[in-house]
Amino acid sequence: MDIMELSSPLLLDLRGLKRRFLLGRTVVEALRGIDLQIRRGEFVAVWGPSGSGKSTLMNTIGLIDRPDEGQVLVDGKDVIGLSDNALTDYRARHVGFVFQSFNLVPVLSALENVLLPLEIRGEGGRAARERAIALLEEVGLGKFLRFRPDRLSGGQRQRVAIARALVGDPALVVADEPTANLDSENGRLVLELMLALNQRKGVTFVFTTHDPRLLSRVRRRIHLRDGVIARDESGAAAEGLLSEGGVSEAGADVEAVA
Amino acid sequence: MNYFGLGLRNVWRNRRRSIVTLLAVAFGFASIAIFAGYVHNVYDGLMRQAIQGELLGHLTINKRGLETMGRIKPEKYLFSKDDIARIEGIIKTDPHVRLITPRLALSGIISNGRASTIFVAEGVVPADVTAIKGDFQRRMAGDLDSKNPIGIAIGDGLAEILGLKKGDTAAMLVSTLTGQSNALDVEIADIFDTGNPQTRDKFVYMPISLAQSLYDVDGQADRLVVLLDETSETNAVRDVLAPKLAAAGFDVEIRTWDDISVFYRSVKGLFTMIFAFIFGIVIIVVMMSIVNAMSMTVVERTREIGALRAMGLRRGSVVRLFTTEAAVLVGLGCAIGLGLTLLVRLGVNHSGIQYVPPNSSNRVRLLVDVDAGKMLLAFAVICVLGAVSALLPARRAARQPIIDSLGHV
Repeated sequence: MDIMELSSPLLLDLRGLKRRFLLGRTVVEALRGIDLQIRRGEFVAVWGPSGSGKSTLMNTIGLIDRPDEGQVLVDGKDVIGLSDNALTDYRARHVGFVFQSFNLVPVLSALENVLLPLEIRGEGGRAARERAIALLEEVGLGKFLRFRPDRLSGGQRQRVAIARALVGDPALVVADEPTANLDSENGRLVLELMLALNQRKGVTFVFTTHDPRLLSRVRRRIHLRDGVIARDESGAAAEGLLSEGGVSEAGADVEAVA
Repeated sequence: MNYFGLGLRNVWRNRRRSIVTLLAVAFGFASIAIFAGYVHNVYDGLMRQAIQGELLGHLTINKRGLETMGRIKPEKYLFSKDDIARIEGIIKTDPHVRLITPRLALSGIISNGRASTIFVAEGVVPADVTAIKGDFQRRMAGDLDSKNPIGIAIGDGLAEILGLKKGDTAAMLVSTLTGQSNALDVEIADIFDTGNPQTRDKFVYMPISLAQSLYDVDGQADRLVVLLDETSETNAVRDVLAPKLAAAGFDVEIRTWDDISVFYRSVKGLFTMIFAFIFGIVIIVVMMSIVNAMSMTVVERTREIGALRAMGLRRGSVVRLFTTEAAVLVGLGCAIGLGLTLLVRLGVNHSGIQYVPPNSSNRVRLLVDVDAGKMLLAFAVICVLGAVSALLPARRAARQPIIDSLGHV
């Protein structure tokens, strides 16, 4: 975390988050007490083995799931108590999503997919269209505006998804395994793109990954294990940790998944 | 968000399923529309048959109680010459009234000199009969000659029983108003098919002047028949005339042609029931088809629903999305059904198929009309119910937790 990030206001403040699921007759504790603060403009990777609670944490951060215990403060306001419609409207205005399997609407073109969050907010029209086109050009898909998802490669689809996540000018983009369905080169490119957009637009990115190679590109890494934060690593020190065993530990977690 | 455009595109997402659903809706709509068109033609035919063929006109005015007590004390229920003139004066003021004509019903015995049988007769003004018949082709009332005061038209069954031909003479015997027997010689001016097996062996049309002579009354009539310019104005004109006549001191009943035509009402009742039955079955089939298609669609698109919800689409909007899609599907199905209906109509109307309707002695052509009202009703009902059919699966999908939707495989 650099000085600029430390001085930027707090966006997310998670306090004592606990989340349990019932699988058959077994209660699984996905999150066992998470305390985490994320500031505006941060680029955060959440990593750990399967079952460590990454997706559950991302769902809570993205406000699409509510914890059983704890508080989720966004800009200092506890949003967990909001009604479903209020929370939905909040997401529409402030949160962008990038999914592992893209989740583009197959009957819509790349441009229409990017326009979707704005249309959901009731902000269609010429300005919205121009903004969507500009974003698609920014992610390198200016020539693919009218292409439907089935005519795009995996990497291109994920870039459309990133443009879609950013079109509404959100404070936060939540990306759950955005590179998992891509080959390593496309995965790297997607990460570079997210990094570039984070730096250019100051949008906060929180994403999960299994890929230890991608972690070296990220300033802040949160290592989850068994529903708790095992380590919250930042900046060069974290890079050092990775080079001295952190990466191998990450690799071991990934292998454990494989 | 353009729900309609999105719905239209999603319809073609699973083409095979959409085509099957579209065909189910199209055949459903077409079956309702074709049957409605046939029924409309039958109603129209029966209506014209009653008004023009059976000479009922649109409205019949008689003294209250004619149909019940009039048989016991007929003299009390006749309109005098003066009554007729006054009533005509009141009715003529209505702009929809084209014709007012007096009628006198009587019954008695008709004989050819060797054999006799009963008859039921209607005394009419011959010139008015021509006006009422208008362009109606079926000869359900015989032609009378204004210049022949003793010329009568008899049912073909009656002619057969008595062996009478056109130009023959016969004798008619009736009881006068005072109970005296009165016989007159008449001439067979026409023989016609009443169109009804129950009346063809006894029904007679005669000039009202002859009926009045037989009944021994002077210019009196038991009914006044009113012909209007538009059948659709029947009830409205009745409602206007009733208070006017009451205000003038006439205690009369004004009956519409469909009040009088028992056959029309019974056929209409039967067809209405059959139509409702068919409509119900078709709607159930269409709804099942839509529920099936939309349930599968919703399941297939669970992840998409999850993504849309995550992006900020409200639950209600998810429901709207799928109900719009269902409405688009049934709307397209109905449009195809409309095309199918017009094609079938064209084929049927040009095929020349004929049949003998119940209670009729004539063959009639099988024809299908365009019943726009029923088509619109079917379209609206199918669209609304189609959208409602999508409600259940759509609500289920909208209420599913987003994380479950996104994790759906």
